[in-house]
Amino acid sequence: MPPLTSPSARGTNPSSAALPIDCWYALADSASVGRDLLGVRALDRPVLLYRTTDGRAVALEDRCAHRAYPLSLGRLDGDVVRCGLCGFGHAPDGACVAVPSQPQVPLGARVAALPVAERDGLVWVWLGEPGRSVRHRVPELPWLTGDGWGVVGGQREVDAGYLVLHENFADVTQVPFVAPEIAPSVLGGQAPDLTVEVTETTVTLRRTFPPAPLPGWQASLVGAAAGDDYATAHAGFFLSPAAWVDHWDVTGPDGSRARLRFTQLVTPVEAGRSRVLWRVSRDFAVGDASAGTRVAGLFEEYYGRVFTAMETVQAILDRDGPGPEVNVSADVAALRVREIIAAMLAGQRPVRAAQRAAHP
Amino acid sequence: MSEGSTISGTRTTVREHEGDLVVESAEVVAEDVVVLTLVDPDGDSLPPWTPGAHVDLILTEDLIRQYSLCGDPSDSRTIRVAVLRSPDSRGGSALVHDRLRTGATVRVRGPRNHFPLIASPRYIFIGGGIGITPILPMIAEAEASRADWQLYYGGRSRASMAFLDELTRYGDRVTLVPQDELGLLDLTTILGDPRADTLVYCCGPEPLLAAVEERCATDWPVAALHLERFAAKVSQAPAGGERSFELVLAGSGLTLTVPPDKSVFQVIEEAGVSVLGSCHEGICGTCEQVVLDGEVDHRDSVLSESERAANDAMMVCVSRCSSDRLTLDL
Ligand code: FES
Ligand code: FES
Repeated sequence: MPPLTSPSARGTNPSSAALPIDCWYALADSASVGRDLLGVRALDRPVLLYRTTDGRAVALEDRCAHRAYPLSLGRLDGDVVRCGLCGFGHAPDGACVAVPSQPQVPLGARVAALPVAERDGLVWVWLGEPGRSVRHRVPELPWLTGDGWGVVGGQREVDAGYLVLHENFADVTQVPFVAPEIAPSVLGGQAPDLTVEVTETTVTLRRTFPPAPLPGWQASLVGAAAGDDYATAHAGFFLSPAAWVDHWDVTGPDGSRARLRFTQLVTPVEAGRSRVLWRVSRDFAVGDASAGTRVAGLFEEYYGRVFTAMETVQAILDRDGPGPEVNVSADVAALRVREIIAAMLAGQRPVRAAQRAAHP
Repeated sequence: MSEGSTISGTRTTVREHEGDLVVESAEVVAEDVVVLTLVDPDGDSLPPWTPGAHVDLILTEDLIRQYSLCGDPSDSRTIRVAVLRSPDSRGGSALVHDRLRTGATVRVRGPRNHFPLIASPRYIFIGGGIGITPILPMIAEAEASRADWQLYYGGRSRASMAFLDELTRYGDRVTLVPQDELGLLDLTTILGDPRADTLVYCCGPEPLLAAVEERCATDWPVAALHLERFAAKVSQAPAGGERSFELVLAGSGLTLTVPPDKSVFQVIEEAGVSVLGSCHEGICGTCEQVVLDGEVDHRDSVLSESERAANDAMMVCVSRCSSDRLTLDL
C-alpha cells in the first residue's frame, strides 16, 4: 500500500452535527435576490433575502420580531419588510420601525441583520458574530461572471452534510466511476502522481495527465480533430467550508488551451443537509448557446448522480454510524479538509450559543 | 517515495504552500525591530490565515525562521511580519535586517497555526518584547468579537517596544510596562483572578513564558493557558546518550530502525514516506504525528504537559521513544 500521510494528530473526525460558523456562505445567486422576499435556511437559521430600492442586497433573520412568523411571507413596502401576520415593519438594518396597532414602536424591537457581501454574481452572507465578518475573506471566483467565460449551473438541496460533500469533492478517484462518459478518458488509466498542498485553512491538490483523447462532448466543443491528444491538468481547491473549486485545463497538440472551472458552493442548511450551488465555467465555445445547453444538460445529470450518491453515504452514516474506514494515500486531501474543519469547530463557540448571543 | 509505492498507482506528496514574495516595505518601527510587508510579485492573493498563524521565511537553504503574522487577515494582498535583530540568533534575524530591503525577494512557506485563538467571552493577553506580534491580530479579533479583554505588554524600554501607535486606539484595555520605568510585568496581579470564562494567551521570551506557566499551574483551569515559544526549550539527551528503537509505520506497513544519530523524521523520510516538517527543532508543530503505541520521550516545545501525558501525538523531528518500539499511524 502506498504511504499515507496524516500531517496532524489532533482533531480528526469532527462531528457532522457541528456547523462552521466563521465563514462567508453563498446563500443565493444575485439574480434570485430582488424585490421579492426570498426565504432560505442556512446553519439551522431562517434567513430572509431581498434588495432595497437602490439595489443593495439585505439579509435579515427570517422571523418576525413579534411572533414566530417568517418575514418572507410578508411584503416589501419600499425598503421596509411588512410582516404578513399583523403588519410590523422592519427596516433593512433589522430595526422594527412600525407597529400598526400603536404609534410607539417597542423600544429595541428588532430582528438580526446579517452582514452581506455581493461578489461574482453571488450573495454571500455571514451568520457568525457580525463584527467578525470584516476579518474574513469572501473567496474570489472571477470565472463565474468574468468576460471570456460561458457559465451554466444549478442548485440542489442535498440530504448530506457539508463534510460528506467536501470529502467527496476531495476524492479524486471517483469521477470515472460515477460518470464514465463525461470523465476525461485519462482518468480511466494509470493514476498520475498527486501533490497535495496545504495551508492553515486551505487544501489544494494537483495532478497532470499525459496526452490522451478528450471526452466526446468536449472534443466537439473545442473543435479537436480526431486522433488529437490533449494533456490535462487538474487542480482542486478547498477554499473554505463554503467553496470547493476544480480547474480542468487541457492543452492540445498545437498548444491551444481550453479551461473548465467547476465551482461547488456549499451551505450547511442543518446537520446532514446542505444546499449546493454548482457552476461550470468554460472558456471555449463561449458565445455558442447550443453548447451552453449541452454542457448544462450533461452536468445537471452528472451532479444529480453525485448528489444522490452522497445522500446514500449520509443515509448509511446516519443509520449505521461512522464505521471503520480504510484510507488510501489519495485520501490525504480529504483527511486534511477534516482537520481544517475540526480546527475551525474547536475554535468557535457552539453555533447555538452564538445564536443566543445574537438574540438577547 | 519508496520504490514500491508506484506499483499500485498514485504517489502522493504532501507539502506546505510555498512561494516567493517581494518586500513591499521594510520599516524600522522600534529599536532593532523591522516590519516587513510582503506581496506576491504578480499581485496574486495570498493564502488566508487566522490570528496566531506564522510563516517560515526561507532565508537560505538551511536558515529557516518562523515569524508570526501581525497584519490583517482579511487583507488578501499583503502579509506582515516583525523581526527583532537578536544578537544571539544564529544569523537569521541579522540576515532579515541586512538583506530584506524594499524590493528584495524572499521565499515564504505557510501559513500554519499552532497558536489559534479560541472563541471566549474574556481574554488576558500577555506579550513580552517581540512576542507582541501574534497578539496583535488576536486583540483585533477579540475586539471584533465584542469580547472583554486586556493586554499587558512588557519590554525593555518604550523605544524598544513595537506597535505602540497601533495600540493606543484600544485605550485602557492595553497596559504598557516598559521595564526601565515600571519593572517587570506583575504576573501575580495580572493572573490574580482565575476565572472559568477567561483564556490566557502569552508569547514572549522564555523566562516570561516559564513564569506565566508556573503562575497558571496553581489555580487556573488546565485549558485556560495558551502560549507560543519561538525558541526551543532546552531538552537533553538522556545520560548515557541516545538509544536506538524500532519504528513501525502502521498505515504504510513498514518496520524500521531509528539509530541513535537519526531522528524519527529522518528515518520516515528515508523510507520514502512523505511527511511535513519545517523547523526541525520541535517548535513549529508541523511534523506532528499520531502515536498508536510506545512510550514517547517528548523533546518538543509545542505540546502542553497534558498533551504529552496523553501519549497520543508527538513531534517526530525531535522527540524519541523510551520503550523499545514506537508505532505511528502513518
Ligand atoms: S407576527 Fe409579525 S407582526 Fe405579528
Ligand atoms: S518540524 Fe517543527 S516541530 Fe517538528
